[in-house]
Amino acid sequence: MAGERAARVWAWIAAAGEGGAPASLAALCLAAAGQLGVDGASVTAMGGPAVREPLSASDELSTWLEELLLTTGEGPGVEDFMFGSPVLIPDLESETERWPGFAPAAVAAGARALFAFPLQAGAIRVGMLSLYRAQPGPLAPQQLADALVFADIALQLLLDSASGISGLAGYHPLDGLSDSRAEVYQAVGMISVQLDVSLEEAFVRLRAHAFAASTPLHNIAGDVVKRLLRFAPDPGP
Amino acid sequence: MNVVSATPARGAGASLSAMAVTVDERLAQAFVKLADTLVVGYDLIEFLQTLTDQCVDLLEVDAAGLLLADSRGTLRLVAASTEQARVVELFQIQNDEGPCLDCYRTRQAVIVSDIRSDWAVARWPRFSAAAREMGYAGVHAIPMRLRDQVIGTLNLFKIAPDGLDPAVVVAATALVDVATIGILQERSVRQHEVVAGQLQRALNSRVMIEQAKGVLAERLRVTPDEAFVVLRRYARDHNHPLTELSGDVIRGTVRITTDK
Repeated sequence: MAGERAARVWAWIAAAGEGGAPASLAALCLAAAGQLGVDGASVTAMGGPAVREPLSASDELSTWLEELLLTTGEGPGVEDFMFGSPVLIPDLESETERWPGFAPAAVAAGARALFAFPLQAGAIRVGMLSLYRAQPGPLAPQQLADALVFADIALQLLLDSASGISGLAGYHPLDGLSDSRAEVYQAVGMISVQLDVSLEEAFVRLRAHAFAASTPLHNIAGDVVKRLLRFAPDPGP
Repeated sequence: MNVVSATPARGAGASLSAMAVTVDERLAQAFVKLADTLVVGYDLIEFLQTLTDQCVDLLEVDAAGLLLADSRGTLRLVAASTEQARVVELFQIQNDEGPCLDCYRTRQAVIVSDIRSDWAVARWPRFSAAAREMGYAGVHAIPMRLRDQVIGTLNLFKIAPDGLDPAVVVAATALVDVATIGILQERSVRQHEVVAGQLQRALNSRVMIEQAKGVLAERLRVTPDEAFVVLRRYARDHNHPLTELSGDVIRGTVRITTDK
């Protein structure tokens, strides 16, 4: 049961991709727009509250909304990024006071409801999945649960694109966050110290190692925690 | 209360009423203690940690863990009275099978006096073997209810195969209700999106603590379990919320050493 929802979402993403192409954020945005009862979806990388970089969007309005967020410095995303919970705005018209620059312009352009999900795991925060709908109203409980899974997969795709494994044949991210055992995150913390890198980078390295070894993530993590495996910094140039 | 009991009904003799009085008094004290920590800006994980500690003191069990369901319906441990890795594992393997998973699915308390009994072994072969190996006989799961929804479970382990007193089940249910309030921050949460947001946040805080355990374990050359003890002690000594401290340890803005 736990994996069923993730498997279903993954199948939607696979179906939205070009025939046989590896999973991509573009396919993820198309699948999210098609399956969550919304009109558009986009993924943005965030290096901090002020640093946003649009990565992929299902449609033009999604791209435009991202630009609007960037230029106004308002809207869901900023607080989201800080606190790590989804920002769900069933009706943007009621947010005019809060976001005088963003809300009226977004509504005028055709977005009435906006839902933003941080792509994060603990202190690892890499970006945001944003959804908009032309009609106001909340996400249904099932859509909300599915959206959270889309966000998890987007996080994995983003991390795995950093090491290049997401483009490889046979790539499947389900083993990643769904494997939320404590050792995986403890190992990420340990590796970050071993390599003197950020948690994001440590997670990228752990996942790449697991993929290369064709071994479940938690097995590799278990070896790290038991100190049977140590990550060494790359020799300098 | 709906209780699926595998224990033959126990005689409500003198021991039960004596226990009920004791539990009442101590429960009142526990609520006072929990209310003290449930103030504006409280640290959720610290709060839930205190709650699982209270469970062990108050309910006369040997280990307690609180599991929340994530967006996939996976049960994830957010706080436990012991961070001993093998006990933690015992909470976690219940995503495949075990009283917690059954409790979550059926929305009813599952009381198993002796996990080594034939029916329990037949029902949960893997979990039963693991619990037995750890020396636990009693495994009990109480649902965290929010109206018609179950958001997680409280799991109680006992070494003695003597079941769970009805008075204890009542007390455990009361504690679980407090935990639900602590997580959702307000009693009148109506919208499912608010619930989903708060759950995400709680689970995320827990992940951050695991990451901090790893960072500290590597810096201090200790196990993650030991790192947690150090982390929690530092949080208490410096009156620093556990989740915030975890963030500081990860960023390197707080350096904890084991020197006294």
